[in-house]
Amino acid sequence: MSVLFATGGPRVARGGLAGWLAGLSTGGRAAVIAVEVFVVLLLWQLIVGYWGIINPVFFPPPLAIAQGFAEIVANGSLAANAAVSAQAWLTGFTIAVIVGIPVGLLMGASLPVDKVVGPIAWTIYATPAIAYQPLAKAWFGFGIGPVIFLVVISALFPIMLNIAAGMRTTSPSLLRAARVYGGSQLDLYRRVFLPSTVPFLFAGLRQAVVLATIGMVVAELSGSSSGMGALIIRAANTYQTDQAFAAIGVVVCWSVGMTGLVTLIERRVAPWTRKARR
Amino acid sequence: MTTPTAERDEPAASAPLISVRDLTVSYHVARTGATLTAVEGVNLDVHEGEFVTVLGPSGCGKTTVMNVVAGLVAPTSGEVLVDGRPVTGPGPDRAVVFQDYALLPWRTVFDNVKFGLEMQKHLKGDGWRDRVQEAIELVGLSGFENSYPKELSGGMQQRVGLARAIVAEPRILLMDEPLGAVDALTREVMRDEIEKLIAATGKTVLFITHSIEEAILLGDRIVVFKSHPGAIKEVIETKLARPRSERSVQSDPRFLELRDHLWDALQAEATEAAVAGGS
Repeated sequence: MSVLFATGGPRVARGGLAGWLAGLSTGGRAAVIAVEVFVVLLLWQLIVGYWGIINPVFFPPPLAIAQGFAEIVANGSLAANAAVSAQAWLTGFTIAVIVGIPVGLLMGASLPVDKVVGPIAWTIYATPAIAYQPLAKAWFGFGIGPVIFLVVISALFPIMLNIAAGMRTTSPSLLRAARVYGGSQLDLYRRVFLPSTVPFLFAGLRQAVVLATIGMVVAELSGSSSGMGALIIRAANTYQTDQAFAAIGVVVCWSVGMTGLVTLIERRVAPWTRKARR
Repeated sequence: MTTPTAERDEPAASAPLISVRDLTVSYHVARTGATLTAVEGVNLDVHEGEFVTVLGPSGCGKTTVMNVVAGLVAPTSGEVLVDGRPVTGPGPDRAVVFQDYALLPWRTVFDNVKFGLEMQKHLKGDGWRDRVQEAIELVGLSGFENSYPKELSGGMQQRVGLARAIVAEPRILLMDEPLGAVDALTREVMRDEIEKLIAATGKTVLFITHSIEEAILLGDRIVVFKSHPGAIKEVIETKLARPRSERSVQSDPRFLELRDHLWDALQAEATEAAVAGGS
């Protein structure tokens, strides 16, 4: 409770835990998070592994998951399945980027294109990817095909629709300035529309990374013999929940890692957006 | 103390640099299907080297007149001549300083100032770098060449806008409430600087403002607008000696006389506008 009140009244100086947290350096904050994670893992380990309050088959403790991770590394199933998944993910994501960027730009630049493509794009985007999964099997068989399809359909629309929105929300005052100084139509697109769409592109890419990963796992959960989703379902079906959790952890790391990579690229390509976010 | 029309006694019979002739601009409002007249029957001559301030309540169409001179809006009837030729679009002889600065957020100060030259395809050779640097120095932003706009204060951003306008050496500077979004202290400092800068470069200026003090301090002539529909109410010569500064001018009896007169004129205008708006 003292934490809640510390930032409340105007007469109360920023003290206590809240003040201490606010005053921490970047390194200090990282240390606090590390301690937090450690405490949670420790409690988890004690409750499930040591006191046995929850059946570890349903919810394996951290040390068991680490062991499960070591097992799937040792028997080679992680490397084999991760390679298949990564291939499908990267192929699908690349297709989504190659198709999504130009179509998004066209939608943003031309009202007729937006009127035709927009409703279709929104409809597909609004449908949960899992609904397309049975159809994807029918269309693309049982190999990597349906996985790539679900990754594409998951990643395509956030990229496309964000870019279209970015083009359309380009500041009219910047366009006016470009026209006043004699900019041609081509200048307007190259020097004003495109650069002001860049932050939207990266926002779309970040969403696409997460959705593509969901699409990939969903596609692999049934009817696939390989991939991270197949590894998770096989491990769970054979009560090796520790291995299943280890595989889920790897997928989470992939998703978080790729999102971080997109942000890193954005900082290199578009340094002016850096301060806007924080 | 006032001259009722836009005409004034020029020592020489030189042709005006900007000539607004019987200008009317109306817009079609798609939502209601109505036609809105922004300005009606505006006549105004601005001579080379003149600093004309345009004063009026919001929505009186003063920005519309400037947009026609800039070549961004086409007249519904009447015409605007610049140097004797009708305006059909933007041109390198005119530059605009915007109220909202309109700087490209992804460009540094240097690259934003360069923008004016770049759009006019003036980047051949090496001379342009010096011109950009000179313009940046002229507005007092040396050392900030590599900053992004959002790292600068409002006043500094508008200095960038000013540098971008003057770097291409236009004959006419169009300034649309350039200090409207700047804090009060910075505004006073920048008024003096703009006054000095314009005096040094000899540009012809059309300067839109809400501020009576600003209109008097900067203008050779003050054009007062009325609204519903937008039209010129009166044109006043300031007849204050230059160089002027905020402090020297404010105790001048002529300044006080002008300020009282403009107050009365605008107050009547604002009252009318409020009544018209409420009916």
